[in-house]
Amino acid sequence: MLDRVRCLMRRVWRNLKQSPVLCTAAIGTVAVALTIIAFFGIVVLNVQQVTRQWSQDIQVTAYLEQSPSASQIQAWTAKIKAMPEVQKVVFVSRDEAFRRFQKRLGPDAELLEGFGPEILPAAMEITLKPPYRNQAGVGELVGRLRQDANFSDLTYEQEWLTRFDAFIGLLKLGGVIFGGFLLFAALFIVANTIKLTLYARRDEIEIMGLVGGSSMYIKTPFLLEGALQGLVGGLLAVAGAFGLFQWLLKEGLAGFLLISGIGHILFLSLPQQLLLVAAGTALGLLGSAASLRKFVRI
Amino acid sequence: MIQICNVSMSYQKDSTALIDLTIRIPKGDFVYLTGASGAGKSTLLKLLYGAEKPTRGQILIDGQNITRLRSSRIPHLRRRIGIVFQDFKLLNSRTLFENVAFPLEVQGRKRFEISTKVYQALKHVGLHGKLHRFPLQLSGGEQQRAAIARALVGDPMILLADEPTGNLDDEVTQEIMELFKGANARGTTVILATHNRDLIRQFPRRVLLLDKGRLKEDYTP
Repeated sequence: MLDRVRCLMRRVWRNLKQSPVLCTAAIGTVAVALTIIAFFGIVVLNVQQVTRQWSQDIQVTAYLEQSPSASQIQAWTAKIKAMPEVQKVVFVSRDEAFRRFQKRLGPDAELLEGFGPEILPAAMEITLKPPYRNQAGVGELVGRLRQDANFSDLTYEQEWLTRFDAFIGLLKLGGVIFGGFLLFAALFIVANTIKLTLYARRDEIEIMGLVGGSSMYIKTPFLLEGALQGLVGGLLAVAGAFGLFQWLLKEGLAGFLLISGIGHILFLSLPQQLLLVAAGTALGLLGSAASLRKFVRI
Repeated sequence: MIQICNVSMSYQKDSTALIDLTIRIPKGDFVYLTGASGAGKSTLLKLLYGAEKPTRGQILIDGQNITRLRSSRIPHLRRRIGIVFQDFKLLNSRTLFENVAFPLEVQGRKRFEISTKVYQALKHVGLHGKLHRFPLQLSGGEQQRAAIARALVGDPMILLADEPTGNLDDEVTQEIMELFKGANARGTTVILATHNRDLIRQFPRRVLLLDKGRLKEDYTP
């Protein structure tokens, strides 16, 4: 058994040593393809971060005709909080609303001279749970609130929500199409590069078959070789994506992204990096397997 | 014993490579497979080592019907057969030793056993002094001798040779034929495809003459 493993490793090493140019080409192809996918992933990750930030602003405000009593506030808060879409409910009294208004006006606050808090209504500010921060979620909550006559006057920035939903939809669709295309292109290119390396060794494969090599005996080193090339390509892709992240995103687009409201720009998390390396390994393995089907027909 | 029963083979619908062949080759026989180009010699050899399957008929080797072998069993069949080609089919990136060791490595033999058997096989064909040379550093005759050593290193019961002397001059052809005769004398069944009539005249053995896929004559000169 040990002899066979040693023999297998020797064959893998010999294959790699035998055609360094093709081997480098295969590794390079995996690395470039995955670097592009990883970079795209990082951009999507950060755009998601921005949209998450924006979605925090989605809230429903219920204006109240009369200032409610403390017990009413407590009862209404509990009632609204019990709704499945609701994360947080804050009662804003007329005084608080007036203070906020003054603050927002800043130097122009003197315009309010002569007016008191009675000009503004009290309100319940309702923040939604993240999964409901969209047009449908807001719609459901508004429908539920409207069943209570106390909350008839509701605002929730319908137009902005529509545009936000359309943007998120476009982003998701674009991500799926572009990501899928990149993945397919990567598999295609990697499979063809590996096919080239196998084509260069077709004589060896043919002779192995003629002298009684089983399909497994012939294929295993090539599969291991493909997986190894994919693994190295995946590791290089993590390094390449980090380089691009530092150079393009952190340096170049930092200002732009920070204006969008996010605190810091994210790189791939450790599980995502491992996933990228695993994807490289799988890509090499699948590329080899697909190409071997053509060359080994035993 | 090789039994070929009513075997036909066609690659395409309208062209038949072999037509209704029935041949019996006893164990330890030496047989020439001859005929013009396209007569079906190489096709018959391919059927014998499982590279192709006949469209009709059965082929039995030592009682085993190889036309019904699952593809996963074909390597086991090939381990009992040595094959020699006109173009040698040696790996130019490997030394003679590595080339001849190939069939034994494939079978998972121990390293010590491989070294011993390869050395013996190369000594038998007179190439033991060139163990670490690469094929392209050798003459055509030497390359063919190495190919024969590779075919015989696993002690096959059948040796198939497809135009093994086609690229070689007369003197080297004599040497190569002596190797085939030697293998046959040790009990290996030899089937040698050739269109060289001089060769058959010089080393007379049973002849199977194919013509357009049919067995035209079966005689011993």
